[in-house]
Amino acid sequence: MLWLLVGPGVLVFLGENDAPSMLSYSATGARFGIGFFLPFVVLTFLVGFIVQEMTVRLGAVTHRGHAELIFDRFGRFWGFFAMGDLVLGNFLTLVTEFIGVRAGLGFFGIRPGIAVGGSLVIVLGAIATGRYWTWERITLALAVFNSLFVPAAILAHPDWHAAGRAMLTWMPLPTGNHYEILVLILADIGATVTPWMLFFQQSAVVDKGMQPRDIGAGRLDTLIGALLASTFAIAAILATVPLFRHGISADQFQAAQFAEALEPWIGHVGASLFALGIFEAGIVAAITISTSSAYAFGEVLQTGHSLNRPIREAWPFYLTLLGSACAAAALVLVPRFPLEFIVLTVNVIAVLAMPPALAFLLLLVNDREVMGDHVNGIWANVAGVVVTVLLICAGIGFGLATVFPKWLGG
Amino acid sequence: MNEKTNSSSTDSGKSKGEGELERLAAGAVRPNLEDPSVVLSLLETDQVVAAKRRTRFGRRDLSFGLQALLWSLRIYVVVMLVIVLISVLRAVEAAR
Repeated sequence: MLWLLVGPGVLVFLGENDAPSMLSYSATGARFGIGFFLPFVVLTFLVGFIVQEMTVRLGAVTHRGHAELIFDRFGRFWGFFAMGDLVLGNFLTLVTEFIGVRAGLGFFGIRPGIAVGGSLVIVLGAIATGRYWTWERITLALAVFNSLFVPAAILAHPDWHAAGRAMLTWMPLPTGNHYEILVLILADIGATVTPWMLFFQQSAVVDKGMQPRDIGAGRLDTLIGALLASTFAIAAILATVPLFRHGISADQFQAAQFAEALEPWIGHVGASLFALGIFEAGIVAAITISTSSAYAFGEVLQTGHSLNRPIREAWPFYLTLLGSACAAAALVLVPRFPLEFIVLTVNVIAVLAMPPALAFLLLLVNDREVMGDHVNGIWANVAGVVVTVLLICAGIGFGLATVFPKWLGG
Repeated sequence: MNEKTNSSSTDSGKSKGEGELERLAAGAVRPNLEDPSVVLSLLETDQVVAAKRRTRFGRRDLSFGLQALLWSLRIYVVVMLVIVLISVLRAVEAAR
């Protein structure tokens, strides 16, 4: 029953536990250890659940993807702005996914060209089935490997008592450079709540053929996704705590370097699990994010945009999907391309682009003409507005700290 | 008329249970096909999706307040992207 129930909700959350997200969680554990960030990350997933549940209702009631609905209700002018944010964010994120793939497999001595090329074959294999259901099952089967961070965390022998206390008290608070703390807070939010998730889940709900009567099941699917993803995120933090405990600076670490640095503390098996987890995070997100871009393009261009359509009927959809994946993969293989700066900024950009996306979401989900009796309740609106305002405040804080670094000691 | 006679003659040969079923069927309320929600409930999933895809939601009225909100958020994103660019350039400079 559970196998039939899970789908877009689990996929979107495990897809968002992607390479830059796992890198952010790893950096959090290595820099601050066990403390404030454990419950904070759980809170971000609660926020993610509240937001994504709205897309389930929108998709099931309107049978339209997010981009299509924004174009319908707000016109092309605002629609293209929303698409611009999505395209920029998705492409940069897609590049980071292939960085994760390259770095994860690099730990095992696999050459970058083979790692990236092999991943493209997996993306192609998933869509070549010509059915949404099969694509969803293949991607879900790959996403299960996000759980590799759990045994890696266990091998790190975390202080469970301290972890439990931190979850209850949010203590100890992070100390040190305030600018660095703020960037990590933004990165951890961006690791959970991003515009592509809104576009992807709504389109996937439509492609799956969900009806208003399926909203309850969709809600449960989303909740399961949020719970699984938050567990694996916490595991990534706990797995890198040994670096914090032994005072090893992880400021300049890339994904695979975490695995290498952790090897003396969690053993070769633990480090291998960590590296495989980074590879999995990259490949699953590469599949879901490229599909998210393709859905949005298909909806805007009014061409076939379903994984149930054969390639000859929906070739612009498949071309966008594979084209974006190939372009991102190619960039990763360009020598001396500044990949590390893309990794550092991609989650921050996701947070900064989120308030307009949330505004469109809240306006649509409160539109009685579109949603009928399925409009938001008062508490969903309060939560949505609070999240939007907090994201704006966090963004403004980041802006002020960047322009006036001395304010936060940056 | 002839049909009616035939029908009543066959009725007499049916079991009591079958007669009861027919009476219930005759007395059942026919669905009101003028009501869109009733029609929707009778359609298969694929038919509902196909029917909805053929219709489009119109543009909503964007009040001054709503336009101001959307513009503010748009300006916010552009300013923030410039700030991200500044921070990246600083990081590049620091790395040299």
